[in-house]
Amino acid sequence: MTINLRNLLCLLLACSLLYAWKAAVVEDIRLEKDQAVAEVLQQLGDEPVPHYPDTSLQGVSVEAGKGIVLTGFAPKPGGGTINKQSKHYVCTACHNVEREDPDLSVADPQARLEYARDNGLPFLQGTALYGAVNRTSFYNGDYEQKYGDLVEDARHDLREAIQLCATECSQGRALEPWEMESVLAYLWTIDLKMGDLLLSEAEYAQIESAMAKQEKQQDAIALIKSKYLSGSPATFVDPPKDRKAGYPVDSTDVENGRLLYELSCLHCHENQRYSFFNLDDSKLTLRHLAKHFPRYTQYSVYQVGRYGTSPVPGSKPYMPNYTLEKMSHQQMEDLRAYIEHKAGWSR
Amino acid sequence: MRFITLLLLLMAVVYDLSAQDYAYRTFKDSRIVNTQSVETLGKRRLDVRIAHRFGDLLGDNGGWATFYGLENATDVLIGAEYGLTNDVTVGFYRSKGAGSMPDGQAGLRQVLNGTLKYRFVQQSEEGSPVSLAVLGVTSMSAAERIEGNPDIIRNFSSFSHRFAYHGQLMVASRISDRLALQLTPAYTHRNVVPFQDENGIFSLGLAARIQLTRVFGLILDYTQPFSELRDADNGFYPILGVGLEIDSGGHIFQVNFTNATGIMETDYIPYTTTNWLDGEFRLGFTISRLFNL
Repeated sequence: MTINLRNLLCLLLACSLLYAWKAAVVEDIRLEKDQAVAEVLQQLGDEPVPHYPDTSLQGVSVEAGKGIVLTGFAPKPGGGTINKQSKHYVCTACHNVEREDPDLSVADPQARLEYARDNGLPFLQGTALYGAVNRTSFYNGDYEQKYGDLVEDARHDLREAIQLCATECSQGRALEPWEMESVLAYLWTIDLKMGDLLLSEAEYAQIESAMAKQEKQQDAIALIKSKYLSGSPATFVDPPKDRKAGYPVDSTDVENGRLLYELSCLHCHENQRYSFFNLDDSKLTLRHLAKHFPRYTQYSVYQVGRYGTSPVPGSKPYMPNYTLEKMSHQQMEDLRAYIEHKAGWSR
Repeated sequence: MRFITLLLLLMAVVYDLSAQDYAYRTFKDSRIVNTQSVETLGKRRLDVRIAHRFGDLLGDNGGWATFYGLENATDVLIGAEYGLTNDVTVGFYRSKGAGSMPDGQAGLRQVLNGTLKYRFVQQSEEGSPVSLAVLGVTSMSAAERIEGNPDIIRNFSSFSHRFAYHGQLMVASRISDRLALQLTPAYTHRNVVPFQDENGIFSLGLAARIQLTRVFGLILDYTQPFSELRDADNGFYPILGVGLEIDSGGHIFQVNFTNATGIMETDYIPYTTTNWLDGEFRLGFTISRLFNL
């Protein structure tokens, strides 16, 4: 086979045109900050998560799901209003529906507290519902200690996790299928966006390149997934062994303790919002808390903070505990320092 | 009375009612000792209550013979109230009924009581210095009619004679974390009364809560009926109650002493004929249990 110069030039021209066309296509893919992470992952060839809502069921809507999450109520498909999902709580008693961590790839309670302060959010025991649909693991770590076999089905199934939360955590009724799908439909409106992931320009370019060239997609998927937690770690811890001395910390920060009291304790207890146990800023209340802090009583913040409370006959709602990832030992001591400071209490 | 009403209306208008830093729990319970407080239940909350008044602690009917009144149940009230909104509470109670005239003639017995309370102004830092609420009570005796004696209340010659009504305005202020005060002008109307008695009685109540610790509070209330008939010479006495309120961290328990025999307003305001100074006061308690509905 002989290749003359003319044919060679034609071949080179064709290659150049092809390269130029391909380069032009690559340049056209630009990720937007408000683009859904799940959508990008799917475009990269990732397996879709199994909790997309089934919108074929009658009555399924984002509005209904939002109503259930925020108020416990929603309009019924046939008219009227559903019975309140829980008499005691709404989802937002324990979960934010906004982003609550500055860096979604780590569980840092102090960073979360400061983020909550800056963004006017409460500081809660439950993980934010924002981005819940992007996670693949639920009731992680030591939650098995609390709920036993009940977490088995919930660990890798968001529907089961929501149902466990509905019936156990909030001591309410199970969601009907259309209600569950509505809640999922709402949760998909507060899924993670690319702008949440703190990607550098180079990382954006890497992902865009992988999408455009259809190569190194697994690396891009891994890169995206490294920017957020696929599940919230949960480490159950005990109160300090010596409750009078408290957790061993170098120093305490009263201002940090104030934030914890206001954004966490008062979120549920102020004006008996979600609990009949009322808390406020009065000296009487703070003295009471300060006195009981090191004790083995239901009024001890160590006790209820680390162990939560339990349902008792006639009073089913209970307080969830703070895992180490939701409140550090340092924060617990800061909270104690604030309460003792405001109470005029000295150890 | 008209002046007070005008003054309160003026206060409600002058102060910014939209202020957000409301005083919460001026009183910890919807009752002080005898008097209803300005407090309403939260929306969708049910308060099941059982109140009990024992017999006279001392005096002719008390002492060792009745184990200081503990062997007698002067009045018992069982019922519940429900928060329709954060400011409107409705209630329904059945009370035994205990009040009597000085001559021993019984007032209403086996009484069904409906209550409606509406708080229309809530104390707040930037707004009103007081909370204002109104209470209406309708009481109906379900007791069997005693025929043949038109001179007694329970003759019930007309169905309307079974009824008594009560309305009151509550003006309360949480002065500090330790002190709350309430003023309670009221009007009580009985459809049937004994000869020479008055159907309508105005009264004024004063009440206070002194919080001793987070858990323990001292509560007291005093009600003075305004009626020519109602003085010590005629065998009637003002109503005084003192009690200890215990906040268990979710529920309020109350132990009290009062010279009132009846628990409901339609009972104790017109029919208190027992006197503290004669040892005619009794131990009482209230168990209250809140439910979310």
